[in-house]
Amino acid sequence: MKILSLFSRSHTFHDQLEQSRVRLYRVAYSWSHDAALADDLVQETLSKALKNYGQLRDPKMLNSWLFSILTNCWRDHFRQHREMEDIDEIEDYRCVHETTPEDEHAQTQIVGRVRGAVARLAMGQRQVLTLVDLEEFSYAEVATILEIPVGTVMSRLCRARRALKEMLQELAPVQSAQISRIRRIK
Amino acid sequence: MKQNDQGVSDEFLNAFVDDQLDGAEKSQAFDAIEHDDALKERVCELRGLKERMRHAYEHPPAPGRSAVKGRRFRASHLQALAACLLLSIGAASGWFAHTWTGMGGDKEMTRLLQSAQRNDVGAESQKFIVHVSSSNPIRLKTALDETENLLDSYRRSGRKLQIEIVANGGGVDLLRADVSPYAKRIGLMQEKYPNLGFIACSQTIKKLQGKGVDVQLLPHTGVASSALDQITLRLKQDWVYIKV
Repeated sequence: MKILSLFSRSHTFHDQLEQSRVRLYRVAYSWSHDAALADDLVQETLSKALKNYGQLRDPKMLNSWLFSILTNCWRDHFRQHREMEDIDEIEDYRCVHETTPEDEHAQTQIVGRVRGAVARLAMGQRQVLTLVDLEEFSYAEVATILEIPVGTVMSRLCRARRALKEMLQELAPVQSAQISRIRRIK
Repeated sequence: MKQNDQGVSDEFLNAFVDDQLDGAEKSQAFDAIEHDDALKERVCELRGLKERMRHAYEHPPAPGRSAVKGRRFRASHLQALAACLLLSIGAASGWFAHTWTGMGGDKEMTRLLQSAQRNDVGAESQKFIVHVSSSNPIRLKTALDETENLLDSYRRSGRKLQIEIVANGGGVDLLRADVSPYAKRIGLMQEKYPNLGFIACSQTIKKLQGKGVDVQLLPHTGVASSALDQITLRLKQDWVYIKV
């Protein structure tokens, strides 16, 4: 009975979307470094996914389809709030990493330094780097999600990692001369 | 591609650490790395960067309003889920029944499924809420056609049925006296089926009025505080939701 397969398909789709939430949020945060904005982007992404449920022909493509929607939501955000119409302009954009007291403390930690460095990358590089490293998408999938050639994915990734390496060296804290000793506790 | 001192490009090494090389290329990479300490170091560096990236975003900060937003999203999520399927009885559309306990409401879903399987003939009155949000005449016609088909089919088989067509956005055009392409048909349907109701979204009406539009609804059209409120109410009452 048709109604039954649609029931179960809808229910499964609903569950799959819920499972994707954390991963979408992680990437949205790595692009924006703004928790509230990342949350909004994910909410908008999931809402659009639900609305356009019928457009997903191959369920295996759900993951990259969701990240494509996230990419479009992110671009829309820029167009609306930063008056950037040109995609190239968006891809070259470097956001200001607004630090909180927590971040200030974290700057001495690797997490804060990496996030700070990623926030200074050009948007196009940041997107490629995070999709490859955080989501483990293949280069071909990233090309599809961001609607750029695979060659561009590779060159942006190279530039991103070179820049990241340099920035992490710049941001590295001064090493203490003292070496802490590991004590065995019996 | 930029070549380094060892003749191996950065792109190639990146592809190696990202596991993007095919078998032959991977073997070539392993051979090169095995015999070149500088390459080994570069690969380690790249892998280290990847690890640090993963570590840095493993636990992103939770949004400050996450608890509230989570709940709010769940509500809208369920509404959107209910609204995400297209009507198609025998065509390229879908049906979706859903109760407000939907998040994890597997028992309820099972009950609905079993009920659908049994077809619930004569068990209780079947209730459908049909949501129209587009002014596209084809969509509007589909909504009326399918509604009429359902009403006819239930009437013929002697089963009880209740249908409510709720309109918002462009769908309100269906119920506007001066705009509706189906005003006469709706009048006839209302006469023929007392178990059929039409409801317009007051939010949409207010928006139109704000733009200076004089909204005159068809006779016997109800007004809900909002289409979503009405849908939410009906879902809570176990109505079957159909989005056109």
